[in-house]
Amino acid sequence: MAEKKLSKKALNSGFHRWYYGNLTCFSQEHMQTFGYLCSMLPLCKELYADDPDRMAESMDTYRTFFNTEPQLGAIIVGVTAGLEEARANGAEDVDSETINGLRAGLMGPIAGIGDSLVVGTVIPILLGIAMGMSGGGSPLGAIFYIIVWNLFAYFGMRFLYFKGYDMGTKAVEFLVGDIGTAIREAVTTLGGVVIGAVSATWVSVKTSFALYNEAGEAYMVLQEKLDSVFPGLLTAIFVILCWWLMAKKQLSPLKVMGILVVVAFVGVLVGFFNPGLSY
Amino acid sequence: MSINIFQAIILGLFASLSSMPGLGGTSIGNYTLGRPLIGGLICGIVLGDIPTGIMVGAAMQVVYIALVTPGGTVSADVRAVSYIGIPLAMIALKSYGLDPASAEGTALATSFGTMVGTIGTVLFYGTATMNLIWQHMGWAWVDKREYDKLPLVDYVLPWISHICFSLIPTVIMCMAGEPVVNLIKERLPMDGIPMKTLFTVGALLPCVGIAILLKQIVRNVLDFIPYLTGFTLAASMGINLVASTVIAGMIAIIIYKLKMLELRKPAAAASSAAAENGWDDDEEDI
Repeated sequence: MAEKKLSKKALNSGFHRWYYGNLTCFSQEHMQTFGYLCSMLPLCKELYADDPDRMAESMDTYRTFFNTEPQLGAIIVGVTAGLEEARANGAEDVDSETINGLRAGLMGPIAGIGDSLVVGTVIPILLGIAMGMSGGGSPLGAIFYIIVWNLFAYFGMRFLYFKGYDMGTKAVEFLVGDIGTAIREAVTTLGGVVIGAVSATWVSVKTSFALYNEAGEAYMVLQEKLDSVFPGLLTAIFVILCWWLMAKKQLSPLKVMGILVVVAFVGVLVGFFNPGLSY
Repeated sequence: MSINIFQAIILGLFASLSSMPGLGGTSIGNYTLGRPLIGGLICGIVLGDIPTGIMVGAAMQVVYIALVTPGGTVSADVRAVSYIGIPLAMIALKSYGLDPASAEGTALATSFGTMVGTIGTVLFYGTATMNLIWQHMGWAWVDKREYDKLPLVDYVLPWISHICFSLIPTVIMCMAGEPVVNLIKERLPMDGIPMKTLFTVGALLPCVGIAILLKQIVRNVLDFIPYLTGFTLAASMGINLVASTVIAGMIAIIIYKLKMLELRKPAAAASSAAAENGWDDDEEDI
């Protein structure tokens, strides 16, 4: 029996189905399971064209629940494409159980790295730069983001999918290994600095609190005093307060927003906050 | 400024494409069209005022800069933020006659958008629940080995969920928005306590967005230093965002090199120790 090899066409189709369809039919119960099934379909069809029973056995493997960070998760789909090919060639150590064990074992760590690296760092950095280019309502920043992010996402996912297919689980070791750790640490710091610059540029918490002398002149303007200590101090304090409430007090973002509404209301009543608007 | 039915339907289609389980796919839909900055561009084009759209989008983008949805729990819905919140905020700005680039304009846009985004989580759960019907049909087809129907389940049938929970709500909210905005304007004067609170909340809300992001980065107090460095670059030194990113990139390179040095040192020490003991085989390295 000739060695079965997945064609470039089938692999491309499998990749594109994952790239587009990983979350199109989302539900809380099955999340990315249908995206995964659709991505494996062209591969299984090619490998088991003449054997409906093995086709069914193979497709049933991917009915198991799956959810991870979809961009980085392309590597898992790529790895299973390689494993499915090995199974079609009669590899004894590859069965439904090993494939699902691997998927279940990888989806957690990949989701963790992906959420903090892609959604928590790369996207905010790109958005930060884009917002820097949006001054005066210029569409340049938005166009920059559309182009750079989509090129990065498409070719990055493509690279990961085919790396996963070629190298199997070794490809994943790259992500969690030494170089992967060093890159993540560097990118996280880059993200931290950019987010700092974004919050100083786009967030502005100001107080209107002041003390007046008898002649009605303000002799103590709190905002000026605070800014002479550290420009934007009040903004930084509020950001760190929100962080503390969420990270240390385990409050949900929605509850923190609720607290801010109360803070704003009380602040307006006592004259700490005053946007100073009228018709 | 008002929104006609055709503009509302276009916005509704973009809402369908961009939501979290959106039909534009994750990269193009949720992570591109769903970001408020991009939503601002689209709304600006559709409503014929690109600068206002971009300014409103950028203001809201700060609140949602780190919108991570781990395990599919959401605290805000991007389709509602970007394609209901932004158009309504644009109408409100025009109606109040505020400059979108001013601090007040930004604050108004942010509190409007965040309110709508929070209410919009209903749309998220609605879509996800309706998708269960198509998935149920999908499992039946898989049992019957009719695998060719799987793409129908994943790519086509969810459009029905999105017509119900993205397109129609967007059209209704956008069309109803103008009278509601005018009503608020008549009833609540801008120098009254409710409006002052609304504007103040708008200025405070971006802090939550930034803090969500910091929660991912900051493990101990020292991790605040990179954040405060960036803050200082922009607030004290007046360096713009693009230039700040260049400086941040330089710092990142230094950290990468240091980290690699740190990681390779034990390995190099181990191999030189092995060489001294005479076990090393020369082909291995260097």
